[in-house]
Amino acid sequence: MTDTILHVKQLQKEYTGEITYKALKGIDFHLGEKEFVAVMGPSGSGKTTFLNCISTIDRPSNGSIIINSKDPYKLNDDELARFRRTELGFVFQDFNLVHTLTVEENILLPLTLDSVSEKEMKQSLDKIVDFLGIEEILKKRTFEISGGQKQRVAIARAVIHNPKLLLADEPTGNLDSKSVNSVMTLFESINKTFNTAILMVTHDAYVASFASRVIFIQDGILYNEIHRGKNKQQFYQEIMDTLTFLGGGQHEF
Amino acid sequence: MSFNHIVVQNILRDKSTYISYFLSSIFSILVFFLFSITAFHPMLAKMDTTSTLGVTMLLASFFIYVFSIVFIIYSLFAFLKKKTKTLGTFMMMGASMKQIRKMFFRENMIIAGAAIITAIVCGLVIAPLYLMVAKKILRAEIFGMYVPIQAILITIVLFTLLFLIVTKFMTYMIKKEEIVHLLKADITQEKLIKLEPFKLILFIIVSVFLLFSMIKEMNWVESFGTLSYIALFISLLLAIYFTVTQGMLLAIRVWQKQPSYFRKTNMLFVSNLKARGRSHAHIIYLLTVLLLGTFVCTSVLYSSYYNVEEKTEMLYPYSFQYTSFPGNELEAQKDITFIEATLDKAGNYEAYYSAFKTDDKRRIAFMSVTNFNQLGQHKPITLKNNEYFVAAGHEGVDPNKESIHDYPFGNLEFTGIEKRNILTSGLQNVYYIVPDEVYETIEYPDYKIFAYELDGWTNKAHVANTILSKITTEPDIRLMTSKIELYETEKFVKSIMFFIGFMLSLIFMSAALSILYFYLQTSLEREREKFSGIRKIGFSMKELSSVVTKELTTLIFIPFTIAVFILFATLLGMHNYISLAFYQLTAIGLGIFLLLFIISFFFIRKGYINKLVN
Repeated sequence: MTDTILHVKQLQKEYTGEITYKALKGIDFHLGEKEFVAVMGPSGSGKTTFLNCISTIDRPSNGSIIINSKDPYKLNDDELARFRRTELGFVFQDFNLVHTLTVEENILLPLTLDSVSEKEMKQSLDKIVDFLGIEEILKKRTFEISGGQKQRVAIARAVIHNPKLLLADEPTGNLDSKSVNSVMTLFESINKTFNTAILMVTHDAYVASFASRVIFIQDGILYNEIHRGKNKQQFYQEIMDTLTFLGGGQHEF
Repeated sequence: MSFNHIVVQNILRDKSTYISYFLSSIFSILVFFLFSITAFHPMLAKMDTTSTLGVTMLLASFFIYVFSIVFIIYSLFAFLKKKTKTLGTFMMMGASMKQIRKMFFRENMIIAGAAIITAIVCGLVIAPLYLMVAKKILRAEIFGMYVPIQAILITIVLFTLLFLIVTKFMTYMIKKEEIVHLLKADITQEKLIKLEPFKLILFIIVSVFLLFSMIKEMNWVESFGTLSYIALFISLLLAIYFTVTQGMLLAIRVWQKQPSYFRKTNMLFVSNLKARGRSHAHIIYLLTVLLLGTFVCTSVLYSSYYNVEEKTEMLYPYSFQYTSFPGNELEAQKDITFIEATLDKAGNYEAYYSAFKTDDKRRIAFMSVTNFNQLGQHKPITLKNNEYFVAAGHEGVDPNKESIHDYPFGNLEFTGIEKRNILTSGLQNVYYIVPDEVYETIEYPDYKIFAYELDGWTNKAHVANTILSKITTEPDIRLMTSKIELYETEKFVKSIMFFIGFMLSLIFMSAALSILYFYLQTSLEREREKFSGIRKIGFSMKELSSVVTKELTTLIFIPFTIAVFILFATLLGMHNYISLAFYQLTAIGLGIFLLLFIISFFFIRKGYINKLVN
């Protein structure tokens, strides 16, 4: 493993309400600079909370998160906004595209907020559009394209500014199996081509098998992790076994 | 793509969200503009010397301005709520709070600018037509078209300021929340209505108490003045609020316990009411208040327009009343000759000659029985030698029955009272009618009365003009009053009020419709998803339309019913002060509104179902 992009130390998250609920009970985790890691765990295990805390969109109760040697929770609002649009990329299950903007405008959104010059925007856009093969839908509105296309657009938006770390929350949750394949292949090639570190939450063992390492969270603690060997099929089987052991087994392929 | 591009697209591609707000803003600005066109009309000073029209118009404009502030704040809150998720997405993409605020501010300023410009352009286009209508209604024959530079400037400056300040203020209302909450805003359930029976009872009691003491004219109401009216207004608003929310809660609870809850579409309807109870109740509340405003404006103002004749006669009982002060006998003779000559030409009339003596310092007058009976408009009376009779001098004020005992007329006994003022209101405080013999002995200055009642006086304005232009009131010499002239002035004031009331009621209506539209529009997406889900498990179009019909009926007709109920309850409480005609007119007005509502209900229902299905 080379340099780490993400250090998580004793991460805790409590939801206070009528009943206080401890979603994360202290997690230590490191993510390498070019690593692709999947986070798995049964429903309610705290995997999405874990990702949200790292995504800087849900403040942890305790512990520290260091991304690219910066603690995002120590930044002020302006700095945090800049941090998000330079260092991080996000992909969500429900896409979160802005419906008033076209596909092209959605992809350019992070650059626009950064007031990048038109020329630079065009270059970045061309590069990413080529890579994803979505030229023909650029002028369309978000409700005119399919789910798989929406997720491609969301991925394009997430990586257009060359983030160091791409965070994905169930990116395939709303997609059919064909789209799942193409989106996951895309993640793999983003990881390889742009050297972007990826942290992805999923409940699907097949999706997780695209990663190089899978960590398992149960009841708010890090339970186990397995590394991918040479054989993807075998890796998948290992993931399945762990899941079955955890009681959240998925029997699909 | 620049930042401004996003801002513009957010509006242009989301037209359906903003359209109703935009239109109602235009409408409010337009009415404000038209009112200021009237208020700053160059001919106004010539026509209306007492400047009633100008001042009233300015007050009405001010009211519209205040109302616009409230309406705009409400709408911006609603927009913010609708956009929560989008704002979350923007922040996730790395937009800072500063950029979010900037975006929200610019979006709203673009809409504001467009609304102001459109309203002024529309205003200029319809100004000639408006002034023609104003000519008729306001009886301002000399109102012509002019270039209303002043009105344009005032409208632009005031509304630009309003939008600037309100929007700037609202940008600070964008709370800095964790993005995760923003993103999940559309799936989190809204809070349920709280059970607050004590607040409900408290505010109802306070309102009823305030209303009751105002009707009964209790002393403390006078000592607090306007403050008590404001208190009543606020407690009424709160009472309505708690009635609506608690009533909703009660209805839901009762329904859910009914066995019929699980029959047909009832469960869908009621559970939806429960899930969205709070926002439904808020919409019902807002619509109720706005409709109440609409009804009050139209019914009160319109009805007052029809009471003018009666009210005028109460103040000035005669078509013409010439009061001659002592020492004016020669002039009076000439004036009377002129008046009677003019009246001879005008048609049939009755003449009444009378006189009274008065203690000028206390303005207590004495009149002989003969003179009193000569006034001709009252039942003739007879008095025994030791009796006196009392007649009122002020309209609506009961005369003092005892002051006569301060004068050395022997021991007179009270026999009766005439509570209507027998002559022009306010001329004297009270008239004591005494036997002729007693009257002869009184040594106060002698005033002569020449009163005339012209047949069909309501359309004899020209006669009044002729006479009043020649004979005017001169202090200490003669007093000339005419109910015809008063009637004309009153009618003028009432038509201004009616005109303004009509415009205001239109503004309230448009605000109410805008709020309803926005509410339906906001929930459309989720409802569509819900229904398309249920349709899959075997839910017929008929059932869908029945659920939607019930829901829309709740949203539209409950506010209507509550507003009508409050209006009539208030009117009944004031039955001593208003005539039967008032109820009739109010009922007719409400009937027209009901018809309008039924028609728009069917249109809304059809459009809404269409949008839900497609």
